[in-house]
This record gives sequence, structure tokens and C-alpha cells, in this order.
Amino acid sequence: MEEYHSGEEVSFSADEASNVVKECIEGIIGGVDYSQNKVNQWTANIVEHTLTQLVKQGKPLKYIVNCAVMQKSGAGLHTANSCYWDTTTDGSCTVRWENRTMYCVVSVFAVAIAL
Amino acid sequence: MDDFHSAEETAFVVDEVSSIVKESVEGVIGGNVYQHNRVNQWTSNVVEHCLSQLSKLGKPFKYIVTCIIMQKNGAGLQSASSCFWDNTTDGSCTVRWENKSMYCIISVFGLAI
Repeated sequence: MEEYHSGEEVSFSADEASNVVKECIEGIIGGVDYSQNKVNQWTANIVEHTLTQLVKQGKPLKYIVNCAVMQKSGAGLHTANSCYWDTTTDGSCTVRWENRTMYCVVSVFAVAIAL
Repeated sequence: MDDFHSAEETAFVVDEVSSIVKESVEGVIGGNVYQHNRVNQWTSNVVEHCLSQLSKLGKPFKYIVTCIIMQKNGAGLQSASSCFWDNTTDGSCTVRWENKSMYCIISVFGLAI
């Protein structure tokens, strides 16, 4: 019985992570306009806050949270990522968010700890 | 003696990874001008090339490689990462590259198995 339950808790849930990320972004840059002198603080807060919430879930995973905030000015931006890991236990999730003045892309990567 | 050697072979070496990344970027987008219809292919090629070179190192690591390409247009871009891992064995390396028409930021994260 115990083993069955811990099997369910161990895997990475992209949907749960995605919700955690969306709440964090909304909470930090929700109604705000792009500001060059604050953006440094925003990206740092978003990654720290997201990481803290994910770690609280108590799963045996290592996390990497990456956040990019870009001013809307007509420039093109493209991001890609590639991962060399165990596809049965590891996973990732990317959330794209925007408001009137900026884009925000947050990626979460979760890698299982080999026990 | 064995432990010392295996510690060197299994650590995340930032300089080595950094030079692999720089070669990959130069090779893929070296002399090019930003082009909207090719950038998709460039980011994929950069990450795949970096990843295959890294896996050839044969170290017991899982890797995550991310690449951002942005057109030079006066826009501001800020990127941050936060990691929850084992500080003694895991590491990361970020390379910023640019040419006349675009910026490219590549991050490599290595997690010990």
C-alpha cells in the first residue's frame, strides 16, 4: 500500500507545476508595466518564489526554474531547450505569459533523484 | 588514487562546457543575420549540437540545454534561473553571444546521476 502511494507522488506533474508558475507570475508582475530598473528584481523573485512552491510539494526531484522577461517592442525572440535525461522519471513545463508591455517565459525542469 | 581520478571525471567542468557551447553557436549562427523564418531551426540546431557534444564527454550527468535568440531591436531582455539541486555535484554554465543583428544566450545545467 505504501509503495503504491509513493509511486504516485514521485513523478513530475506538468499541470501542477504550470499552475504554480502562473500564480507566481501573476502575483509578481500581474498588473505592472515593463520597467528596466525593476526587471532584475522581478525575474529573481519569480524564480525564487516558483522554486520554493515546488520544493514544498515534497517530491524527490531536483528542480531548475528559468525565467526570461522581454519588453514588447517588435523584436523577435525564440527559445529552445533540449534535455538528456531519463524520460520515464524526468519532465519539464514551459509557461508563456504576457501583458500590454512585456512577455514572460518561465521553464521548469524536474529531474528525479536516483535513490 | 581511483577516487581522485573519478572525482575529476565526474565533476561538472564549467570551462569545458563553455567552450563546447561557444563552438556550437559559432558553427550554427556564426556569420548570419537575424531571420525570422530561420531562427526556429537555429535554436534547435544549437541545443541539439551542444547536447550531443556534451553526451560524448561520457560523464554520469543528465543535461538540460536552453537557448534564447533575440533580434537586436533596442528591447530589454532579462533572464534568471534558480536551481534546487546538490551543490557539490551539480553545476551550470551560461554563455552570452552576440553579433551585429542578434543576441544568443545559452544555458547548460548538468545534474549528477
